[in-house]
Amino acid sequence: MACGLKIKDEESGYNKNLFCIPKHYEEDVERVFIPHGLILDRTERLARDIMHDMGSHHVVALCVLKGGYKFFADLLDHIKVLNQNGDKSVPITVDFVRIKSYCRDSPTKKISIIGELSTLNGKNVLVVEDIIETGRTMKALLAKLRDYKPKTVKVVSLLVKRTHQSSGYRPDYVGFEIPDKFVVGYALDYNEYFRDLNHICILKEKAKEKYKI
Amino acid sequence: LSTLMPHGIGDDEQGYDLDLFCIPKHYADDLEKVYIPHGLIMDRTERLAREIMKGMGGHHIVALCVLKGGYKFFADLLDYIKALNRNSDKSIPMTVDFIRLKSYCNDQSTGDIKVIGGDDLSTLTGKDIIDTGKTMKTLLSLLKQYNPKMVKVARMTQSVEKYIVGFEVPDKFVVGYALDYNEYFRDLNHICVISETGKQKYKA
Repeated sequence: MACGLKIKDEESGYNKNLFCIPKHYEEDVERVFIPHGLILDRTERLARDIMHDMGSHHVVALCVLKGGYKFFADLLDHIKVLNQNGDKSVPITVDFVRIKSYCRDSPTKKISIIGELSTLNGKNVLVVEDIIETGRTMKALLAKLRDYKPKTVKVVSLLVKRTHQSSGYRPDYVGFEIPDKFVVGYALDYNEYFRDLNHICILKEKAKEKYKI
Repeated sequence: LSTLMPHGIGDDEQGYDLDLFCIPKHYADDLEKVYIPHGLIMDRTERLAREIMKGMGGHHIVALCVLKGGYKFFADLLDYIKALNRNSDKSIPMTVDFIRLKSYCNDQSTGDIKVIGGDDLSTLTGKDIIDTGKTMKTLLSLLKQYNPKMVKVARMTQSVEKYIVGFEVPDKFVVGYALDYNEYFRDLNHICVISETGKQKYKA
């Protein structure tokens, strides 16, 4: 099982004034935790590792919306570059699932699926997710995917949180292993906000009040 | 309304030779020409982002992605909008949503469109919406029910005047940059014209 780039508990990120942040979030962001460029560099390597393992048969890349969309797009871009420039290449088709949760902190998740996943039958599936915290959501999704009888299923998650509430689940590929902090940006949201921020950041406490439902 | 015409004179000469660009090996026999190279798509999209931001009011924007073909354009357009937000004097918050319209089989539109997914669309009331996708009429009439403030549609390729358009293209079936032929070719960077070999190989 992969570990990814480990960010220690003591690490608090970077001063936001060292980077470009959208003006409308300037007062809300405490620190830049993982800068966008670093995310892309790590993703480039994940693409290579994934293609090395899965690159001999057609892959169905399954994007977990909404938070997974940026990582999905960037990961696939890197895979396409490998396909365009390597000696061998493998077709990738795409599909999308949506996981609706009732409230950001709720342990219960409802999995709502967009599209017909019967196309997964007999295929090598790569599930692309933004963050794994307790692991319960991913376990529920994987159980649901099994109904469609894919040939193999692998999971890549940009972030994995170190948390006491972990169910023990670990994905096959990990971008970054992070401490138990609430992060937003790069398509991760707080009540739908902050998806339009390209660095992964830590919010100020007063921002949580501001964007509360 | 300005749009960009693909390189070449006359419908049959348009496009570039495949050998001038990098193409995934697995599609080498399946394409006729590169129609709109990826870098050109990006440059045009950068300008579309600027036009869109100028034209939207100062309010909160909901960017609505029409899956699956719209996902690349959506991601890249939003990246450019975000860059504008980070670097200018004013910026506008943007939230995102995703819906799915299913309408094509092989290269023929079946005319039957299903809308799946998305948040409760009543959250769109009072917001400005940017919409990216291929099949518009049904979606627009659906959205009108929710009384959004303004709906702008950004299309990558189309020749209808009321939309913000990236490129105007003749009536050829194009693939690439997330546009598919029976789910294939979404993993191709450039917008290309499919070859007869490709059409047969990936027939439904």
